[in-house]
Amino acid sequence: MSDATVPTINFKEKAIELLPEGASFDACLTCGLCSSGCPASGIENMDPRKFIRMAMLGMNEELSSTPWVWTCTQCKRCQHVCPMNIDISQLVFLARGNWPKEKKPTGIVRSCELTRSTDSTSAMGLPPDDFVFVVNDVLEEVREQQPQFKDMVAPIDKKGAHFFVNQNSREPMSEPDEMVPLWKIFHLVGADWTYASKGWAAENFCMFSGDEEAWYEVIKTRLDATNELECAVWLNTECGHSYYTMWNAVNRFGMEANFRVESLITYYAQWIREGKLPVNSDWNTQNIKFTVQDPCQIVRKAYGDSIADDLRFVAKKLVGEENFIDMQPNRSANYCCGGGGGFLQAGMTEHRRTYGKRKFDQIMATQAEYVLTPCHNCHSQMEDIGHHYGGAYHVVHFWTLICLSLGILGENERTYLGPDLAKIGL
Amino acid sequence: MIEDKRVFTTELAVIGSGLTGMAASIYAINRGISTSLAGNTGAIAYTTGYLDLLGKADPSSCTIFADPWQAIASLRENQPHHPFARVTDEEIRLGFEEFTAFITSCGIKYSSPQEHNVMALTPAGTSKPTFSVPATMQAGVEAFAAKKHCTIVDFRGLRGFSARQFVANLQSEWPRLEAARVTFPNMEHGEIYAEVMARALEVPANREALAQEIKAVAGESEVIGVPAVLGMHNPDEVMADLARLIGLPIFEIPTMPPSVPGIRLREMFEQVFPQKGLTLVPQQKVTAVDFKAEQIQLSLRDNFGPITILAKTVLLATGRFLSGGLQAQHDGISEPLLGLHVSQSDSRDDWYRQYYMDRAGHAIHLAGIEVDDQFRPVDAHGKIVDKRLFAAGVMLAHQDWIRGRCGAGVALATAYRAVNEAHKLLQTA
Repeated sequence: MSDATVPTINFKEKAIELLPEGASFDACLTCGLCSSGCPASGIENMDPRKFIRMAMLGMNEELSSTPWVWTCTQCKRCQHVCPMNIDISQLVFLARGNWPKEKKPTGIVRSCELTRSTDSTSAMGLPPDDFVFVVNDVLEEVREQQPQFKDMVAPIDKKGAHFFVNQNSREPMSEPDEMVPLWKIFHLVGADWTYASKGWAAENFCMFSGDEEAWYEVIKTRLDATNELECAVWLNTECGHSYYTMWNAVNRFGMEANFRVESLITYYAQWIREGKLPVNSDWNTQNIKFTVQDPCQIVRKAYGDSIADDLRFVAKKLVGEENFIDMQPNRSANYCCGGGGGFLQAGMTEHRRTYGKRKFDQIMATQAEYVLTPCHNCHSQMEDIGHHYGGAYHVVHFWTLICLSLGILGENERTYLGPDLAKIGL
Repeated sequence: MIEDKRVFTTELAVIGSGLTGMAASIYAINRGISTSLAGNTGAIAYTTGYLDLLGKADPSSCTIFADPWQAIASLRENQPHHPFARVTDEEIRLGFEEFTAFITSCGIKYSSPQEHNVMALTPAGTSKPTFSVPATMQAGVEAFAAKKHCTIVDFRGLRGFSARQFVANLQSEWPRLEAARVTFPNMEHGEIYAEVMARALEVPANREALAQEIKAVAGESEVIGVPAVLGMHNPDEVMADLARLIGLPIFEIPTMPPSVPGIRLREMFEQVFPQKGLTLVPQQKVTAVDFKAEQIQLSLRDNFGPITILAKTVLLATGRFLSGGLQAQHDGISEPLLGLHVSQSDSRDDWYRQYYMDRAGHAIHLAGIEVDDQFRPVDAHGKIVDKRLFAAGVMLAHQDWIRGRCGAGVALATAYRAVNEAHKLLQTA
């Protein structure tokens, strides 16, 4: 930590500027539904209601410097349950942006810097050439070793492809075989898709660092890449915040996007409905129980319950209606797991696990053996709190289970399956 | 960015997601009416969980009625414009039965309404008349009536509920009442919330740990009372399991908002309604309603963008000042969405009496929307605004639900009638 001090923001004044006409933090009834429903309540002796009250009382120095803003994941659950619809997360965004760079959590700042260090926009700093190499290398191996997929493609920079698909850097960097199930799905449904050498990466921690300009720049690179390739749909991979940072930025910054911004989940559901992905639950002869984690960034903060319904439709098709158990609460009312908002990158491990205790209890209450989630941050966080608090559940991507159900999941594509499923369909 | 337009077509659009909107949705679902429900969170999360019918027929009198039906008969004589004067006892009964049967079937068991009010417990250690209580609170009503030997347990760090205060206030009426405080498992530090405890108790291991704590302070008690924290999604199972583990019956006492019984109801409705085919737009206020000849167009937006609902009938249940159904301004009270006529005193000076606690109540609480016998809003001259528009709930004029202890009664009875009237209209159209 440096010696720099955090400048003081006048939160009340800023709130008046930020809020739409007619809305007001004065409308707060101090009922506490926000704090009662917030997993970050109590951390750093702060909670959403206290934050609002302190803002109204002009306690600007305390609010400007409280590290709590880095433990609030900006999941917007407080606003969702607020009878007055007060948005506290935008004050948190403001506070984050106000911290001097050298005082902000290093991991978030570093992730944003790496994202801007190459045209890839990869938070792990993977350059375009390396990405292209890894994709081609893995593809070649699959085509050789799995004859069923000898014609499978993973195009890069294919102009006019229908889908521009992004990729979380974690896969090409550290678990390249995890890219394969998704390619197989595209192959099976006959999707016309492409990666891009520029702007292919999914992560965007610049938004979480509160750096609006950096957020804009990263999105601009991705948006330009999609426009240049003349793709009809920017298709977001199984990731939460990469969708939100793109979708929200296009509106927020008034950017020109000649394409639709969509989530892979809605297509999984559509392809299953259309019979293009003939998944079933016949493999689940042991009646293994599954639950679903709704990522805040695509459910509560963007699509709303419609995508949550798609998640459940897909999950039930995959594991069997009787083997699906919902977490409580769920869909738009779901709790953030504590992996988002840059929390995983922020180095505040103890706080992050305190936050995650509620998610852990939610999962344990379902007594499910597996949690399905289409979000990498949710995935990592739920694995971590499972190990920390002693839960025996596994966390899996949808693509893993789709390919498992279709009998096309390769031997190297099973990192996240437990021993009960490791051998199924081999 | 290229966006989709979202348009939903329904027979009935319910505006408002408080108790009235929720009840109206239930009645509509049961009648096979295709329905949409939109509205802000509403005050439902603040409820105690008790469903009052009518506790006081005359706000200025001290008389608490044990027989709500007798109270309603008396009220119809004294307050001929009260919404209860436009519905029959039979309709009120059926409305309550249909509502409690529905929520019971969805996993939150309620006592079936009886002939009489029961005296239910409040967090302050007082009692109040109510008509139907959640199963998790039933043993409290019975323990109070029988004055059983009872220990009230509260929790370190939980604000807004004090077992000592509760016992101090009730001791004179309930001699064998004791207070104890325990630490909730894994919540040793700082402020804790009823909602968080309730969710934690859905995990069997946490129930076992809590049962040990409670057993240690139970003494010779025959029954245990706790603030309302017995589970969120499966309250009846949580209660039964804890009772088994402790070896004594256990009941809930409502807490100050934000209260678990209200969150329970809201989360249950938000999950069950879409499963039953209702189009739910949670957490969003309708911003405009356009009565066209062929259909009624509602406009609103959520995070994702604009939404249009096309409906044949509309039920307005936007509540009073807190939820924005009514607005108080310098020059009077208005209904902001449709600009409906609001019955009110001539001058703002008459809104309140001099003393806030005046037994006679305040004129502002009787202000509201005027309707005809079919619960269709009317203008200042008594003419209906649109035959496809209905209004229900506490936004209606000539009732003071807080003083009358009749909030749920007004909500359910008027929603019941209004939905039936909308149903008739839809069938004839």
